[in-house]
Amino acid sequence: MFLNSQKALLKSDGTRLDDRLPSHVRPAFLKTGAVSVAAGSAYAEFGSTKVIVSVYGPRESKKAQAFSDIGRLNCDVKFTSFATPLRGKAGQDVSDKEFSVLLHKALEDAVDLHSFPKTTVDVFALVLQSGGGDLPAIITCASLALADAGIVMHDIVAAISLSCVGKDLLLDPTYKEESQQDGSVFIALMTSRREITQVTFTGEWSSTKASEALELCCDACVKLGEVMRVCLKEDAAEATEDT
Amino acid sequence: MSQDEGIESATGAKDVASSMEVEAFRRLFPVQYIERYLDASVRPDGRPLGRARPTDVVLGQVPTTDGSALVKLGNTTMLAGVKLELCVPSGESPDQGRIAVDFQMPPICSPHVRPGRPAEDACSINEQLSNVLASAQLLDLRELLITSGKSAWVANLDIYCLNADGSLFDAALLACAAALTDLQIPGVAIDDDGKVQIVSPSGDQDQHMLDAEKVSDESKSRRIDKRRLTLGPVPVALTCMLHKKHILADPTAEEETYLQTTVTVAMDSSDKLISLYKPGGLIVATTSTIMDCIALTRIRLKEVNRILIEAAQVKAGD
Amino acid sequence: MVVGLGLSSAEKSYIAGGIAVDLRGDGRGRHHFRDFSIDTSIIPQANGSARLRLGGTDVIASVKAELCAPPPGRPHHGKLEINVECSPTAAPEFEGRGGEELSMDLSRALQRSFLGGASGAGAAIDLASLVVLEGKLCWMLYFDGLVLSSDGNLLDALSIAMKAALSNCGLPKVEITSGTNPEDDADFELNEEEFTPVDTSRFPVIVTLTKVGKHYIVDATAEEESQMTAAVSVAVNKKGSICGLTKRGGTGLDPSVLLDMISVAKRVSQTLITSIDAEISAAESRHDDQ
Repeated sequence: MFLNSQKALLKSDGTRLDDRLPSHVRPAFLKTGAVSVAAGSAYAEFGSTKVIVSVYGPRESKKAQAFSDIGRLNCDVKFTSFATPLRGKAGQDVSDKEFSVLLHKALEDAVDLHSFPKTTVDVFALVLQSGGGDLPAIITCASLALADAGIVMHDIVAAISLSCVGKDLLLDPTYKEESQQDGSVFIALMTSRREITQVTFTGEWSSTKASEALELCCDACVKLGEVMRVCLKEDAAEATEDT
Repeated sequence: MSQDEGIESATGAKDVASSMEVEAFRRLFPVQYIERYLDASVRPDGRPLGRARPTDVVLGQVPTTDGSALVKLGNTTMLAGVKLELCVPSGESPDQGRIAVDFQMPPICSPHVRPGRPAEDACSINEQLSNVLASAQLLDLRELLITSGKSAWVANLDIYCLNADGSLFDAALLACAAALTDLQIPGVAIDDDGKVQIVSPSGDQDQHMLDAEKVSDESKSRRIDKRRLTLGPVPVALTCMLHKKHILADPTAEEETYLQTTVTVAMDSSDKLISLYKPGGLIVATTSTIMDCIALTRIRLKEVNRILIEAAQVKAGD
Repeated sequence: MVVGLGLSSAEKSYIAGGIAVDLRGDGRGRHHFRDFSIDTSIIPQANGSARLRLGGTDVIASVKAELCAPPPGRPHHGKLEINVECSPTAAPEFEGRGGEELSMDLSRALQRSFLGGASGAGAAIDLASLVVLEGKLCWMLYFDGLVLSSDGNLLDALSIAMKAALSNCGLPKVEITSGTNPEDDADFELNEEEFTPVDTSRFPVIVTLTKVGKHYIVDATAEEESQMTAAVSVAVNKKGSICGLTKRGGTGLDPSVLLDMISVAKRVSQTLITSIDAEISAAESRHDDQ
């Protein structure tokens, strides 16, 4: 079966297939406290990408690990078997490990490891549905979950990706757009400090295009950070009302 | 009974209780904390002893599956999805399809699950689910047949626990049953050579399935349109905790950890007892206790059937 | 990266201080690469192979070509697969599963730089040139890297070694005997006498910039890497376009700092590419003479 690569991703009026402008991100639905048994958790929906993240800890590190006078962050990402249209375990194992490492790298610098010495904070993510932009969704959701768990952080991390198709830069691509992209940019940003914790580029980029893409992504992350803060404030207010 | 004496000997608890904060008492003396409520015939969350937690079922939330259900039993949350794949029926049962059940507890659901190692509970629940679904006559495997001996469907039923707060088996079974009621078998076209082509659903924008070859009307193939399964009576399970003289229905994780014995009863609406599961435990259950559990399950059965009907109506209304 | 013993605070300040005044421990400036030497055709069974020594870092790269079906959805493209392994001879921690994380990190960074976008654009090799029979048969190139000894800057070394291995690689000529019917698989014969070289002009080189304090250095040794605050690996090709970028851990970076690092990487890469090409042709002619 062949993917229909001839289909254009932009309509004649310049909007994308889901009626967005190229520089618009998908509407986000963010909610903390999705998993009651966890120290902190969050559920995020970006278009058709759905992710749940739970945070446990600070708790005892498993097995006998070398003594560490700063805390440890342990990240794990899993996909459900029906997250992708092709029910599969094979292709996903590689993504699982890679995403776990990238999630760790993106959050590591934002979390204040000195606030929980000798213990581990576990961040577990489960992708319920993969609709494009999975890794940015996971990272954003994980930041919310860490905040919900009360883990001390220097800043909130938001992440976004961008696809380059021909000359067009499409922010927050869907699965279809990602599978036909000529290049991509992925950024995780500390939203108040405006510092990049993780960045990758694939495909061919000239300097001007690269800096334009970076600019777009950073602005989008900062806006997303504001949305995240509003979500956290609202959920915290709700929680104090209930008790 | 020596067990009671052991617990009673922490009488210090009763004295300290008056001067201690509730949360601290709950952490230090969990069993006594729960017993205080039981003596007043309530549970820590305010429920009467025999009542299950509020239950929610939502069907069809996952577009990448052929049928799905999200079940919330109090805080316990399960997400079940069914995906159909083509297969060749086995030699011994050439007129049947297959169903493969896989129950997983990903690390997000519970503080006791670590990545890389499957949870102990997951294995036993998986076994129980397969057994109950096989003995209950919910699904007739012959419905999954396409061409005898040549092609059939295998239903991959994957259940993920998203939040483990007790009564996992009850919630998982409900999720399985609900997902199967939501299952839609796609239409197929079978040509003369016996090759089967799936007619891809039209008009699904986010359905980024690989475009199956569209079947033209001119081809001389046999078509079977998409359809729902006709299902038998739905099996419903209720887990009860036995503690001293009390029977608690639908325990939370806290109750399951600290109370003594579990009994799980599965029945279907034709009043047939499908399974009774009592994995050891400190209390030896008498016949009357078991009959009480079965009676509670009957009540629960009616509740669950009503919930499933409502969920199906909500889905149809969308 | 791996450093056997910890560094004393005096050594750390020596390293940082040297970098600040553009004079590193071995006398190099911040933007100077160590001298490197390349040997090609060291693995006769592979289609192409090379060994690179960059200071104390020693890596081997090999290319193996196999015929297979084109990737789904792209019938006019060939395939590339990249895999790196860290040998226990490089460091005792690499035995068994110890080196797995590092190997995966290096493999992914190389894949990101060489495979281009999902559509195949921007790849290190023109994927259309790997097609034998459109839609049915194409070449799959397996790039394997092996780290024998590590003194920092493994990623750059691996990218240079892989370019050398690819220059050394020859694809056997394929003669199609049948298979013009679109339904059937193609039958073919390999002509092991005639080889066609692969075009390496688009192949990028990876330059890793390691930030120590306020300055960035190129080609860090293992000691210098242990002092890094952040590292960014940029793949640049001959045209000066960025073919891939990976941030390799460390603290957050301001976007302007990132852009500055990219421009430094571009500048350094242009001279680097010329010296790599010169070294490769020297190695090939040495090999031909033998």
